[in-house]
Amino acid sequence: MQAFAILAALEPEPVNVDIYLPIAEMSVNVLTMIGLGVLVGFVSGLFGVGGGFLMAPVLVSLGIPPSVAVASQAGHVLATSTSSVMSYSQSDSVDYRMGAVMAAGGVVGAVIGVEIFRILRLLGQIDLVVSLAYLLVLGSIGGMMLKESLTAMLLRRKGEAPPRPKVKRPVWIYGLPFKMRFPRSGLYISFIPPAAIGLLVGILSAMMGVGGGFLIVPAMIYILRMKASVVVGTSLFQIVITTFVTMILQAVRNHSVDMILALILLAGGVIGGQAGIRMANRFRADELRAIMAVIILMAGLQMGLSLFVPPQNPFVLVPTGQP
Amino acid sequence: MVAVLPPVIPPAIIQTLPTPAPSSNLLSTDLTQNRIEVSSSFQGAKVVVYGAVVESRDQPSDIVVVVSGPRASMRLIRKVQVAGLWLNSRPVVFEGAPGFYMAASSQPLDKITGFSNRRRLGLGVDYIAMDTPRDTKIVTRYGVRDVVVNSLEDDYLEWRQAVTRLKQKSSLYSDNPFGVRFVDRNLFRAEIDLPSDAPIGTYKAEVWLFRDGEPVSYSAKLLRVEKVGFERFIYDTAHRRPWLYGIVSALICIGLGLGASRIFRRG
Repeated sequence: MQAFAILAALEPEPVNVDIYLPIAEMSVNVLTMIGLGVLVGFVSGLFGVGGGFLMAPVLVSLGIPPSVAVASQAGHVLATSTSSVMSYSQSDSVDYRMGAVMAAGGVVGAVIGVEIFRILRLLGQIDLVVSLAYLLVLGSIGGMMLKESLTAMLLRRKGEAPPRPKVKRPVWIYGLPFKMRFPRSGLYISFIPPAAIGLLVGILSAMMGVGGGFLIVPAMIYILRMKASVVVGTSLFQIVITTFVTMILQAVRNHSVDMILALILLAGGVIGGQAGIRMANRFRADELRAIMAVIILMAGLQMGLSLFVPPQNPFVLVPTGQP
Repeated sequence: MVAVLPPVIPPAIIQTLPTPAPSSNLLSTDLTQNRIEVSSSFQGAKVVVYGAVVESRDQPSDIVVVVSGPRASMRLIRKVQVAGLWLNSRPVVFEGAPGFYMAASSQPLDKITGFSNRRRLGLGVDYIAMDTPRDTKIVTRYGVRDVVVNSLEDDYLEWRQAVTRLKQKSSLYSDNPFGVRFVDRNLFRAEIDLPSDAPIGTYKAEVWLFRDGEPVSYSAKLLRVEKVGFERFIYDTAHRRPWLYGIVSALICIGLGLGASRIFRRG
């Protein structure tokens, strides 16, 4: 959290443009929020992730109740991802069929995840589970991606061709029934693995309060071995559908969607998102992946290490759940 | 001192205590505003409680003003170290704690009156009436049956202090020992600063007149803090028609995303 607090403190001295948020029931500085939207939108467009894993901690460190932060940033994720999907679909780099299959699993997973979230929150143990999930999931994915992309970059420096991936798809994937063609991804596999990945990611993402792009992208690359060019666009399409459902569920079950906050964030987000997409073309894929791996690792360590650092104040007020 | 430990006192008594019945009303008070409108430009508000002591003559009088916001339950957890990891304890629920509390007085409260009055009337941050009913149990203590004690036992005070400390940090609870000023011989005023995250609801501004450490007169006024205009519309829609609100919100976000991609494609 400290790094995020520093990030927030580094913002230029905010001009006094405050607005009162009706659901969060507090006032925030509009420019700070737009700036945050641009920043997270940029990361989102560049790497094809929702950016929730970056935005939620910053919002919370600015004093917004966690439940409102998680639910409202869904609006930002939704707008940024929609705008990005449109851009990617122009260059035919969205596999709608694959995205729909994964989203079907994702929606079911999200419903299950929200229930687990509620139970854990009632037990007061959600912090522990969220921190551990960040540490384990982000730590391992970030480490794996960093190692792989650094190896590729080193080989390119030496002028050697990158090795063909030794292990193709896990063999058992071919043995599954209900095969479908995914022409855009260059795959002919059962729909069970993508749907199962979507389900798992849906559960984890609902519990961690994020869109799940940083989980989907590596899963598409390393497990499904989809054609690299469609990975980011398809992941964003999947995120649009899952987030659409999540946002409505949050509004209905928790009344925690602050539309004003969402609108401010997404105003910056769409601009940052477009800038990110343009910037993405200037980098090589392995370089992008290395940068994203470092960001993921840092976010994971940040949350995970909070388990080991003695808290400044041992007592914490937690939301009662019912306003 | 065991008898005065807060856990031993059943919470119900605190809640239903009648306000002191003065022999004759010596206080006349009002607020500069009895309704605060929270709109999109709301950044907190300042309200003045003012009043006069009738027939003060030469008697020394002390004024205590307590403003408390809508009561709601709060959940508090404590970080405990288990095998090197900092984990959360089970949450403790505090019920009836005000969402906002300010006690202003003409001099420090402990000089105005004693422990029992402060406790009975809830004067001062450390004396706010709140309890943890879900954690109480009934035991036999010192041979007395059916005594309500808090299952947190001795830790109760520590937990309670943690609540007030956290609230004081976010300027929602405060003690203002010289907050009541006599502007003229019998005329006094006290300022209330409501931060922008002060809870929405009905507040109560209570004024006591103390003489020789005893409350001799009492007056109370209500203050409503409510959302108006667009803020209110959004809040009401989100709570009364959650499905509509959620679906429309999500569609607006998608629509704005689509619009943005159009603009950028042309640009």
